[in-house]
Amino acid sequence: MESEERVARIWQARKLVIAAMSGCDSPQIEAILRNADTELHWALWNLGEAVSLRPELDYGESA
Amino acid sequence: MASVPLSVLGSKARASRFWNEASETMPRAKLDALHLHRLRALVRYAYDFSPFYRRKLDATGVKPEDIRSLEDYRRRVPLTDKSEFIHLQREQPPYGPTLALPQEFIAHHSETSGTTGVPLAIPFSMLDTVRYGESWVYGYWGLGIRPGDSFYFAFGWGNFAGFWSAYWGARRLGCRVISGGGLDTKGHIEAILRLKPTVLISTPTFALRMASVAADMGVDLAKSSIKFTYHAGEPGPTALPAMRRQIERAWGAKAGELLGIAELDAFAPGCPNGDGVHVNEMSVYAWQIDPASGNEVAEGEIGENILTSFANSAQPLLNYRTHDLVRRRSSCACGRTWAKFEGSVLGRTDFMVTVRGTNVYQTAVENLLGDVPGVSMHYELVFTREGGNDVMTVRFEPEKSIAGDRALWEKTAREAAERIHKALHVRLEVTPVEPGSLPRYELKTKRIVDQRPKEFRRTLDR
Repeated sequence: MESEERVARIWQARKLVIAAMSGCDSPQIEAILRNADTELHWALWNLGEAVSLRPELDYGESA
Repeated sequence: MASVPLSVLGSKARASRFWNEASETMPRAKLDALHLHRLRALVRYAYDFSPFYRRKLDATGVKPEDIRSLEDYRRRVPLTDKSEFIHLQREQPPYGPTLALPQEFIAHHSETSGTTGVPLAIPFSMLDTVRYGESWVYGYWGLGIRPGDSFYFAFGWGNFAGFWSAYWGARRLGCRVISGGGLDTKGHIEAILRLKPTVLISTPTFALRMASVAADMGVDLAKSSIKFTYHAGEPGPTALPAMRRQIERAWGAKAGELLGIAELDAFAPGCPNGDGVHVNEMSVYAWQIDPASGNEVAEGEIGENILTSFANSAQPLLNYRTHDLVRRRSSCACGRTWAKFEGSVLGRTDFMVTVRGTNVYQTAVENLLGDVPGVSMHYELVFTREGGNDVMTVRFEPEKSIAGDRALWEKTAREAAERIHKALHVRLEVTPVEPGSLPRYELKTKRIVDQRPKEFRRTLDR
């Protein structure tokens, strides 16, 4: 897989995770999903992507 | 039946020379563009969320939108210093107006060791701990440590950020972690023999102390399961080649280290070539100044390292004075494009003394002492002020092999003084002291005893 495709898939994964987190009524599941998004944001950061300093700051654009 | 994964990492990833080749070998132009983007976002973030930075930037008339180039950032964003943070935290404990996140985001609290009396409080968000731990892994991987290795942590689990972050890194890499918390030196040695870890994490001097105690127990640690030793917290095998030789001989292992600053990041993993450290340019932005004039220094010149961290969202650090003197290079035979500091930290702006017109740095003296036969690893450098001049005196304990022969102590002292004179062109007093009389440390070994009046020294807690 080329780097561009990997980056695109990670962005997609973040959208899915953030969508699953929306309105979540389980603190456990929301906490797990939040961790998942933190890791995906961190992967994009280390691939040199122009993500925000903290994952929550991206939500407006990517959710 | 579903197949079970048999490895923490796939074979392709495991075969990589780099933890992240794309970032570690990123071309300079791309790194510069990335840094500019991240610095602009960081200045905006700090201005919006940290009362400390808003006041500081307002006082200098700089707005986030004024930063349009890396040069703008270096020239217009004011320098910050640890003493400012300590002062504000004392006024409003624990973090004062330096905090940029609500308290509920603080996932981990650390402190500096507070050897000058006032520890700096360090808040980390969960994301900050992920980033901090990751910084260690670049060095682990470069040294050859892989999933399947197991880490032994030879230290107590206090508030010291260095080793907590080393632990976060070991977890990220997917290795087994063995805590030595609460054990004495002999207990650590017994645990290593019993549990057979392959990686030792400790301060460099504690690694040597363990080897010395093991020898007294009749144990040769060079025959133990340890394959790698990895160090931080004080000058180690990269800064002090003599120390590398001692550690690698005593443990029969490959020694590595990284350069970190507790309140900032484990920001510079050791180069696999062993002759310097590489700045983790995914997490920090580094540039260097002449500490006297404040002017930026060119590549290859020694300058004070100024750091900005992208990794600290709880307590941002922008243009932070480290007081570490480094020599920066932009290329390395190992293939990394990340800036390299040859020999790691060459000295401290506050631990340099001018003796009879000659600048003498702590590490330069330590490097020479490590090679003098008869000088043990237990020594200290005493700074005094006499007749308007700085004076440095070396006090050392003789090695056990000559402990009973005082004439050899004196001969060793003369040899050390002569080597220092020949290499550094300065005559220092070198004095042997009784074996066992200097203090022992599990964490940071205190090499400097600064007896100069306060107005002649800095009071940084390092």
